[in-house]
Amino acid sequence: MLNRRNFLQVGAAVPLSVLAGEALVRRVSAGPVIGGKDFSPDTGKERQAIPSACWQCVTRCPNISYVEDGRLVKIEGQPKSIRTNGVMCSKGQGGVGQFSDPDRILYPMRRVGKRGEGKWKRVSWDEALGEIATRMKKLRDAGTPEKVMFHYGRMKASHSKLIKSLFLANYGTGTIGNHTSICEAAKWTAQEMTWGGHYDNWDFDHANYVLNFGSNVLESHTNHIPTSHRLIARLTEKRIRMVTFDIRLSNTAAKSSEWVPVKPGTDRAVILAMCNVVMNEDLYKGDGEAFLKFVKVSTGRKASIADKVVALKAHLTGYTPEWAEKISGVPAGKIRTIARDVATVKPACIITYRGAVSHHHGADTERAAQMLASITGNIDRPGSRCKAVGAKWKYPKGPKKKPKTRKLKILDGLPGAAKMPTHHVSHQVLKMIKDGSAGRPEIYMWYCYTPVYANGEVQENIDILKDEKLIPFSVCVDPFYDESAALADIILPDTPYTERWGWEDMVSPTQVPEYYIRQPAVKPLGECRDFADVCIDLADRMGFPLGVKNHEDFVKASCEMTSAVKAAGGFEYMKANGVYHDPKVKPRYYSYMKVLKPDAYQKPGIVMDPATGVYWNWKKAKVASEEEALKKGYTHTKKAYKAYVGQEIDGVVYSGFKPDKLNKSGYLELYSEIVEAKGLPAMPSWTPAPEHEAMKSGDLILTTFKVAAQIHSRSANCKYLTEISYDNPAWINPVTAAARGIADGDAIKVKSEFGEIETTARVTPAIVPGAVAISHHCGHWEYGRYASGKKAPSGRNEPDSDRIWWTSNGTHPNWIIGNRADPISGQLRFMDTVVTLEKAGASA
Amino acid sequence: MQELQWGLPVIGYLFLAGVGAGAYTVSSSVLLRGGGGGFSGDHFNIARYGALLAPIPLIVGTGMIILELETFQTAVAHGDISLLFRWINLFLTINLSPMSIGSWVLALCIIASVGYAYTFLSKESADGDDKNGLRHGLAWIGVPLGIAVAVYTGILLGAMPARPFWNSPVLALLFLVSSLSTGVAGILLLRALFGKHHKAPDGETHDASHKTASRATYLLASSDVLLIGFEILAIFLFILFANLTIGNPAKAVSVILPGGEFAAMFWIGVVVIGLLLPVLIELRYVIPTLLYHQPYAMPRGIEVAVCAVILIGGFMLRYVVVVAGQITGPMGI
Amino acid sequence: MKATATAISRRDLVAKIGKGAALVAAATAVPGKAKAALAQRAVHYAMVIDARKCTGCHACSVACKAEFEVPLGVHRSWVEYVEKGTYPNVSRNFLPRLCNQCSEPPCVSVCPTGATYKRKEDGIVVVDPDICIGCKYCMLACPYDARFINPNTGTADKCDFCLHRVTEGLEPSCVNTCQGRARIFGDLNDPNSEVAKLVATEPVTVLRQEMGTKPNVFYIGADHSDENDTRVPGQYIRVDTHRPILERR
Ligand SMILES: Nc1nc2c(c(=O)[nH]1)N[C@H]1C(S)=C(S)[C@@H](COP(=O)(O)OP(=O)(O)OC[C@H]3O[C@@H](n4cnc5c(=O)[nH]c(N)nc54)[C@H](O)[C@@H]3O)O[C@H]1N2
Ligand SMILES: Nc1nc2c(c(=O)[nH]1)N[C@H]1C(S)=C(S)[C@@H](COP(=O)(O)OP(=O)(O)OC[C@H]3O[C@@H](n4cnc5c(=O)[nH]c(N)nc54)[C@H](O)[C@@H]3O)O[C@H]1N2
Ligand code: SF4
Ligand code: SF4
Ligand code: SF4
Ligand code: SF4
Ligand code: SF4
Ligand SMILES: [Mo]
Repeated sequence: MLNRRNFLQVGAAVPLSVLAGEALVRRVSAGPVIGGKDFSPDTGKERQAIPSACWQCVTRCPNISYVEDGRLVKIEGQPKSIRTNGVMCSKGQGGVGQFSDPDRILYPMRRVGKRGEGKWKRVSWDEALGEIATRMKKLRDAGTPEKVMFHYGRMKASHSKLIKSLFLANYGTGTIGNHTSICEAAKWTAQEMTWGGHYDNWDFDHANYVLNFGSNVLESHTNHIPTSHRLIARLTEKRIRMVTFDIRLSNTAAKSSEWVPVKPGTDRAVILAMCNVVMNEDLYKGDGEAFLKFVKVSTGRKASIADKVVALKAHLTGYTPEWAEKISGVPAGKIRTIARDVATVKPACIITYRGAVSHHHGADTERAAQMLASITGNIDRPGSRCKAVGAKWKYPKGPKKKPKTRKLKILDGLPGAAKMPTHHVSHQVLKMIKDGSAGRPEIYMWYCYTPVYANGEVQENIDILKDEKLIPFSVCVDPFYDESAALADIILPDTPYTERWGWEDMVSPTQVPEYYIRQPAVKPLGECRDFADVCIDLADRMGFPLGVKNHEDFVKASCEMTSAVKAAGGFEYMKANGVYHDPKVKPRYYSYMKVLKPDAYQKPGIVMDPATGVYWNWKKAKVASEEEALKKGYTHTKKAYKAYVGQEIDGVVYSGFKPDKLNKSGYLELYSEIVEAKGLPAMPSWTPAPEHEAMKSGDLILTTFKVAAQIHSRSANCKYLTEISYDNPAWINPVTAAARGIADGDAIKVKSEFGEIETTARVTPAIVPGAVAISHHCGHWEYGRYASGKKAPSGRNEPDSDRIWWTSNGTHPNWIIGNRADPISGQLRFMDTVVTLEKAGASA
Repeated sequence: MQELQWGLPVIGYLFLAGVGAGAYTVSSSVLLRGGGGGFSGDHFNIARYGALLAPIPLIVGTGMIILELETFQTAVAHGDISLLFRWINLFLTINLSPMSIGSWVLALCIIASVGYAYTFLSKESADGDDKNGLRHGLAWIGVPLGIAVAVYTGILLGAMPARPFWNSPVLALLFLVSSLSTGVAGILLLRALFGKHHKAPDGETHDASHKTASRATYLLASSDVLLIGFEILAIFLFILFANLTIGNPAKAVSVILPGGEFAAMFWIGVVVIGLLLPVLIELRYVIPTLLYHQPYAMPRGIEVAVCAVILIGGFMLRYVVVVAGQITGPMGI
Repeated sequence: MKATATAISRRDLVAKIGKGAALVAAATAVPGKAKAALAQRAVHYAMVIDARKCTGCHACSVACKAEFEVPLGVHRSWVEYVEKGTYPNVSRNFLPRLCNQCSEPPCVSVCPTGATYKRKEDGIVVVDPDICIGCKYCMLACPYDARFINPNTGTADKCDFCLHRVTEGLEPSCVNTCQGRARIFGDLNDPNSEVAKLVATEPVTVLRQEMGTKPNVFYIGADHSDENDTRVPGQYIRVDTHRPILERR
């Protein structure tokens, strides 16, 4: 066929042929290369590759950002990363949307109308920071720095160090809120009660069985890509068995060997029943029995293994599978089979996440999981839940002398909200501000966080944030115009993660630490500034310089200070490679079993606490004398956990399960006197949620979940992600639907004591009857055109804005979810809300 | 509702090209079969209406399909002149694509029909005049070209297994018959609207030429009855074949069967209005002539109405087929 | 406007890559007979999608969007969710979709301008945006709905197996990102390639085989359920496509 194309081919062939030649040779000899390079499909030119790191979700995977004509056009996984092996999830890929979002805020803005009215004026950085510094300095000079409240969400690693440990610490406020209580605080508190410092790494690479309670690890996990790609490989290549308990068929459940639907909030009953089976059928024998040496299951510390078995059996007697079946709806036979499997297939990895713990006594569910893992010997060994390992960076600490920090007592919730809120009750901060009895901040500043949208009781959040009497001055640090930014007095345009520096330390699924950095793919757009740099600026303005020039400088210094990184080539190496791990380092397992040499604990200042067997450094704990230390005891000394050295067991001193946040012993404490002292069950127990007990017929339980292609509040502005997940109909079982005359796609009303929302029904057998599940991420009313159909006040144009084809942006469930706390940890009980449901228009 | 790749422009195009091609074919065959002189030159007259009609729908239809080209739409939307004439690429190559062949055939058909119309342009044109040779030459070409265009509109759709509704050789036959029938209707309509002889349709006092004219229209009408008969047969075969095939075609054709999305439109729009109604009316006037040799005299109003419903039916046929074919994509996975 | 600049340069690129690879096949540093054989041996690109490993994460969908800045509303690649069953025995399977780079591509045979053609050197079916008139015939002819009109150019577009990457020796973008490593790309003509081995040893299937298109995207363990499936009357089957056209076609 003679046409123009053939003609053109002949004409244009020469220049690229050499290049293509190389490609062909490589291909013929070695097969395609997985990545590390990219080319423009339009011009064929190689794109500039910048090793950096994702910050869409908390996992913060290393990435490679590709730049073409000064624009960030593509993001890929970092093939050199031992955590990700170069793969990346949709949200990471969709991160180009954070850079290109036409609704990005590019200049500092000051409100001109009433608060929340949406009228803004562009101001200079100098004006904005001048005002903030003046106000802050005034409070500091008056000796009330605590009247500055800083509330952050996704802030980690070098950002956290610079902003919190340097800036805020030197400023002097301790009124610092986070978002852990709306995340997985219950899990962390439980881990602090049991094995000390939090974070469990799931060693899927070596697991032969996976038992999952309420984790959607294949779609969403705090270490998502590093663990999920390993899990799916293990499931398909080694064909290991995985059982998932979830109230709905998540994609994780769908990929599991078995999905076990469970009534919301009842996982603990199932787990306790499994423990009962393991103990009563003597399945603990072997690994579990051996591990009991390091476990505390009763008062005192002199119990023998046999005593421990007796204590466990006694505690678990009532928790039979038949009992659990009544509570959870899971057949007793199934509980037995799974218990036997998890106890006999070694190693088994028992995993949990928010589905298990975002409940009344959610922390106790995590403790129950620790119990099941302990008695089956599946703790901190290859293939099990392990104590996480992350990079340990050294970094500039700033001025030696820091002021004493002061804080408002508004971080731990309303009186009586939670007994052990080791991660605060941040979702009740606004309630506390309204309440006022513990004082109110003069300045409320938030960063990487959206108090309005991420918490429950959205309307109340809005009302409080809008009220100038309750919050006189508010500052939002945000690259985007989200629902909370809309209610601020000043918005400081942060750079999205695509344009800033940072070092990262997220835990590694291989138990070998990985060091990695983030570097800007492109220069910040407009006048955006990394808030870490802004903090350095603010400190200068207030007259307490932090001793670092900027974040880049901080990262550079950290690279040179951290010996492993320095040895590899320091900052220059990290800039060129993005990631580093020491190939000689062996994966860390069984860390608790490490026997301490006498010189580690036979040192001045270190004593053994007779009640617990803990060796601790009373000097470090700032106790006056050894006598006083012995008299007061380890458990009752404030922050003594920071001075923990080791645990004596049968005459040997082990490094044990090092405590964090609580003065627990070096045992894995399934029995906790600390917990008991608070009037809570010493051992994991069944304590039903009061409102579930009081449910009337026709009541349902509302739960919420995350989807694969969105990250909670922050990604609906990424067009490629929202094009996939733009709507969030309420999942209900056909039985639930039929009883209410609801058909798939019908408009429905969901009501709770906190309010009412209207949405559509997705009638599907993929959810347990009696539950309603509405995903997070949708129903935005700000956050730009892709999220809400509404441009930001400073929005610009781009061709894709006219191509938005989806007609619904869904409905946010948090309008009707209460800001209730797990009475143990303070965790927001996201999955507990009692609701009723009816066809919309039915009552009218 | 599914998004349609081919919308009204293509439907209009398929319909108009059919009418044009039908008119050209009918005109040519009337001219060739009836010569110039039969019925006092009335065959010639009829041929003349057909000839003058044919190029118009062909050209308008072709113009419409350019509107459907996305390059053209983008050119207009973005003000990009370079894309405006992208369709020329159709004529820079020829391959076995039905659309490629069809474009060439259509182009030839337009050229030939324009030339053919030119030979009839003068009011004085008559059989045996100085354009006679050219006229007959173009008529000889006209028959195969017209048929080719009519058939091609069916093949264009029928050539794709991906669209089981269309993927039937009967579709080409159906479109051919429909083209001829709508072509006839077009001619009769023109004649009814612009013909001189119908001024006094009192049935008693008509002059000789009217009589012959009526006999010519009678012939056309009766062949139209025949064509419609064929069309009903073709539809029957179309449905039958599809329905008897296991799998996709049966599923696809169900959209026009009772209960289907397009059942009403198809059975009322295409079959009742476009086929049964005209055929019954035509029979009402044809049968007396056929059986009892009564003079054929269809009142002008009725004649116009019959032609109109045939044309509407022809359009509806294209509409239903084009849309139904697209909403019934391949099934199974 | 960018659209036009793009169209022209992309045309050049398609042409260059095409010719380049062909020339080079002859010019590689392989001696004598082997060289001749290599020049003879065309590459036959194919993809195997191991649906068992696919988690439905959509990384591929988004990677593809970003790689080509595919406008909203149209897709080179997408993932279908197939949910079916009766409580509590419910399954959800994932079916990643893209152009099959068919060996008998109906899109090529209906294209009136030759804008769509199958590259001899590697079997990739490409569209030359400088020739395409936007008639949409190919879109109707493709049994997989793999094609669309690119609103920037008004011309037909679709997955091209990341021609610009594979000719540089890189994996396609969707393969690069795939967390399940469910997508495997390579040369079927090379018996040592993973794709060739998988196609030879695994029970692979293709989509809509009855169309006779001979797809070069092979599936392992794919759920071929169809929302029209009536094998089990009344059985719940839901197919989510995540595309503007919510039904699968
Ligand atoms: N794609 C994506 N990934 C993310 C995030 C994101 O927003 N999007 N966010 C990151 C963050 S901060 C976090 S904390 C993690 C959270 O990760 P996960 O905890 O895994 O995610 P969730 O969706 O909050 O909840 C998990 C599952 O719990 C189920 N569930 C609800 N109630 C119950 C119950 O009573 N019992 C059981 N067994 N299951 C129940 C839900 O149906 C859901 O499938 O994900 C991280 N990764
Ligand atoms: N219904 C429901 N609600 C939930 C959950 C759920 O599963 N369902 N999940 C809960 C969980 S686990 C969590 S952790 C929380 C998360 O809640 P948040 O911490 O509030 O959520 P994020 O999505 O991290 O984003 C908060 C805000 O940060 C801003 N942002 C994005 N990038 C940047 C940046 O680079 N710099 C700055 N300064 N700001 C940025 C965005 O404007 C966004 O609105 O949500 C909780 N809320
Ligand atoms: S898992 Fe989280 S950090 Fe990793 S690529 Fe996905 S969104 Fe980014
Ligand atoms: S999948 Fe469709 S577009 Fe791709 S080659 Fe086959 S027929 Fe052509
Ligand atoms: S739209 Fe373009 S590629 Fe498709 S058939 Fe028409 S000319 Fe060919
Ligand atoms: S091969 Fe390239 S173009 Fe095709 S689907 Fe994958 S990323 Fe998209
Ligand atoms: S990236 Fe891989 S695992 Fe994810 S949806 Fe695509 S094919 Fe499936
Ligand atoms: Mo979270």
